[in-house]
Amino acid sequence: MFNIKLAGLIVTVNNKYPQLERFCRDYICHGGTPDFSVSVTDEELDAERRASEKTLGKPASPAYAESVCVYRCICRRLPEYNAFLFHASVVECDGNAYAFAAKSGTGKSTHTALWLKHFGSRARIINGDKPIFRLVDGVFRAYGTPWCGKEGYNVNSDSPLTALCFLERGEKNEIKKIKSGDAVMRIFPQILMPADEKNADLLFSLLDRALTALPCFVLKCTISDEAVTVAYNAMLKGNNKI
Amino acid sequence: MKRIPGFTVKKIAGQNVAFPLGNASKEFHGTIKLNGSGLFIWEQLENDTTEENIVLAMLDEYEIDRATAEADVAKFIGVLRNAGLLIE
Repeated sequence: MFNIKLAGLIVTVNNKYPQLERFCRDYICHGGTPDFSVSVTDEELDAERRASEKTLGKPASPAYAESVCVYRCICRRLPEYNAFLFHASVVECDGNAYAFAAKSGTGKSTHTALWLKHFGSRARIINGDKPIFRLVDGVFRAYGTPWCGKEGYNVNSDSPLTALCFLERGEKNEIKKIKSGDAVMRIFPQILMPADEKNADLLFSLLDRALTALPCFVLKCTISDEAVTVAYNAMLKGNNKI
Repeated sequence: MKRIPGFTVKKIAGQNVAFPLGNASKEFHGTIKLNGSGLFIWEQLENDTTEENIVLAMLDEYEIDRATAEADVAKFIGVLRNAGLLIE
């Protein structure tokens, strides 16, 4: 058992496998009162291992399955604390966060890596795959967590979100702002769908606020430096009229 | 016909969206966008009904002609049927 601090919340993790504590080492916290605790049953672990067999071709190790299940348990609780999981690669530049969401394999990590190359020390990846977004004092912030995709990009830090961008591959680089209503169907594949009515109400009122607060874009792009400047220039001035 | 149970409808950024909760989410992954008449037809399908009854309810609710109502109902029911969300 150990405590981690994620998105400002102290979470007690009742783990079975020691790998998880090592995985979370940068987020371990001592002291403070836990906000909630999570534990995973053997049935959930078995179900996760069976599910991963379909995608990986073999069952995931029990330790890996535990890591996946623990994060899912944590993320299910987040809406109670004005927070939610959003599947995206979040890059920070000059202190502001830009979130890029895409179907797996589209190249969102490739795109945010181009930001690091372009902006150098002005930029860093907050979380490369599974950040937590949390509404704090009227501002949506993106948080690093140990769960961050295979590249391992994460920092135990947070940054105010400037804009959301849905990334698609294109022949040339073009970006357009979309209405919040048109972003609705695009956000569902990026979140953990709620399991019950109470959770659904909390999550949906948060998502409604996020879509009101954050400008949304669709970027069609190539793997190029120009893709970065096209995205950055539009998102920086995110409050432009649609 | 009626809808399979276990779904909820929420409004977000002005859009009504239906999705499964609990056990229903193991059978069906995804969300259904419910535009204007879509939400109305969705609600009609909560209890056992027929396509004709939904058309009549549409004509009662909206100022549209019968051909439009029939087309809207047939289209939306087709979407639900293809997604495996109808019990018939």
